[in-house]
Amino acid sequence: MDKKTVTTICYLARLKIDKEKAQKIENDLEAIIELISKLQNIDTSNVEPLYNPLEKTALKHNDVIDSDNRKEKFLDNAPSSNEDYFLVPRVME
Amino acid sequence: MSIQFKSILELKSMLNSKTISSSELIEETFKLTKDLKDLNCFVTMNEDSAKQKAKQIDQGKYKNNSYLTGIPLGQKDLFCTEGLRTTCASKILSNFIPPYSATVVKKLEDSGSITIGKTNMDEFAMGSSNETSFYGNVHNPWKRNYVPGGSSGGSAAAVAAGIVPASTGTDTGGSIRQPAAHCGITGMKPTYGKVSRWGMVAFASSLDQAGPLARSAEDCAIMLNEMSGHDLKDTTSLDVEHTDLLRSINNPIKGIKIGIVKEFNLNDLDSKIQERFQDSKKLFEKLGAKFIKISLQNISASVPTYYSIAPAECSSNLSRFDGVKFGHRSKNSNNLNDLYIQSRSEGFGDEVKRRILIGTYALSAGYYDAYYKKAQQVRRLIKNDFESAFETVDLIMTPTSPNTAFEFDSKGAQNPVELYLEDLFTISSNLAGLPAISIPHGMVDNLPVGLQLIGNFLREDKILNAAHVFQKNSEFHLAKPSLEDF
Repeated sequence: MDKKTVTTICYLARLKIDKEKAQKIENDLEAIIELISKLQNIDTSNVEPLYNPLEKTALKHNDVIDSDNRKEKFLDNAPSSNEDYFLVPRVME
Repeated sequence: MSIQFKSILELKSMLNSKTISSSELIEETFKLTKDLKDLNCFVTMNEDSAKQKAKQIDQGKYKNNSYLTGIPLGQKDLFCTEGLRTTCASKILSNFIPPYSATVVKKLEDSGSITIGKTNMDEFAMGSSNETSFYGNVHNPWKRNYVPGGSSGGSAAAVAAGIVPASTGTDTGGSIRQPAAHCGITGMKPTYGKVSRWGMVAFASSLDQAGPLARSAEDCAIMLNEMSGHDLKDTTSLDVEHTDLLRSINNPIKGIKIGIVKEFNLNDLDSKIQERFQDSKKLFEKLGAKFIKISLQNISASVPTYYSIAPAECSSNLSRFDGVKFGHRSKNSNNLNDLYIQSRSEGFGDEVKRRILIGTYALSAGYYDAYYKKAQQVRRLIKNDFESAFETVDLIMTPTSPNTAFEFDSKGAQNPVELYLEDLFTISSNLAGLPAISIPHGMVDNLPVGLQLIGNFLREDKILNAAHVFQKNSEFHLAKPSLEDF
């Protein structure tokens, strides 16, 4: 876990780490990677991964509208919006 | 008559006999929250709505009369509550007012219970000590400046201090059971899929499960009866019949087979914690239980398995917090990408950032097979071990936590892995999706110790039966903190 890897992961996760905390985060990540690397010693050949304890496919239900259009309520929570849309800073220069 | 430290059944009996009205009960509850505000159990109160609902119940306007009608409850601040701020103890959701309620909250409120407030927790449920909350540490009611455990620390402390008889929690790796143990109360994580996750802010979707924290196994059964049920809005919700958990709770436990995991070397624990464990084993034997040594061969891999899977799922789930549709938006950004980065960096605390980064790393190209897929393969081995064990035993008994509550800032500050090992006994049941309970079973140096019982898939009835019979024959769950420091 070097500085370059940390910088790449931070960008992928859209996070910025304060300069004074960078070394600490790097050490922490190193310790966690060391912990999870212990799994490499376990023989898992021919073992199917278990992604969910129930191992079943998602249930389906009919696509029926069962609630009101609550657009305003949802837009109320937005940091910035107009009548119909969430507003964000300009994307194109 | 004081309502402090009363169980659901005791409060219900007071309401039924009209010793107290619902409004008086709620008034008294809010008085306790104010007297004990130093515990920092609550992030947001629901005083006006709660008082209004109590009044309606007193006026007979409320039709339902279940065990929970008129009973005050705390809701972990991870459950969406319509019109009531839901923060997940994070700065990023400090202004979020959900437009709907979680299924669990709705079911509990429909049964007549009264939500008095949202309980404090580790930020996004990531932590085992309640020290990662943006709204400050929760204190352990038994000892000030000691952690209550986490992540459902506020829920556990509010019950342990006798403010509410029960509260909701969520458990991804021990987040109900470990704080229940550290605070001396009873807490249960149900089978994955028994309780709907709809409206519960997701941390690690394949591990998260909601459950109750209460003063006894019997009260947990009452809570869980109301919380359980199939929900079309949650695709992992189990479409099975949910039996009444009170029905078999008093059955004799003579002949019940309890497994002791030979891979857990209990000699490594504090000698007084070992003594409590042996004492409880003797009590169960006196009640007719038989103990059998079982092997869970891959159990030592639980912690690394969990810390590969949970951060991976967390990094994916928490990508929704970007400052666009709800939550904190940074004022210091010039373009959209910068808005995401600044809003997330200002909004999340250090532990959440650490887990997002680990998860991003584990899922990134070149590492996916080595960490994420590998962990899911080991997860199957762990589940297989449990399946074999439950062919010979009804329950598995372990300590809930390797130690009692510890002082603030004493663990994990130098190395986060130190705190991750707190979850040693609890996380395997999340990986396998199994139900488990923590019940108090004595004190060590004036701090409570928890005992864990793990059951087979959907066998909450067996766990609650054994826990209730244990509690009928002991008084550990009746111990109360003096609260003189608060």
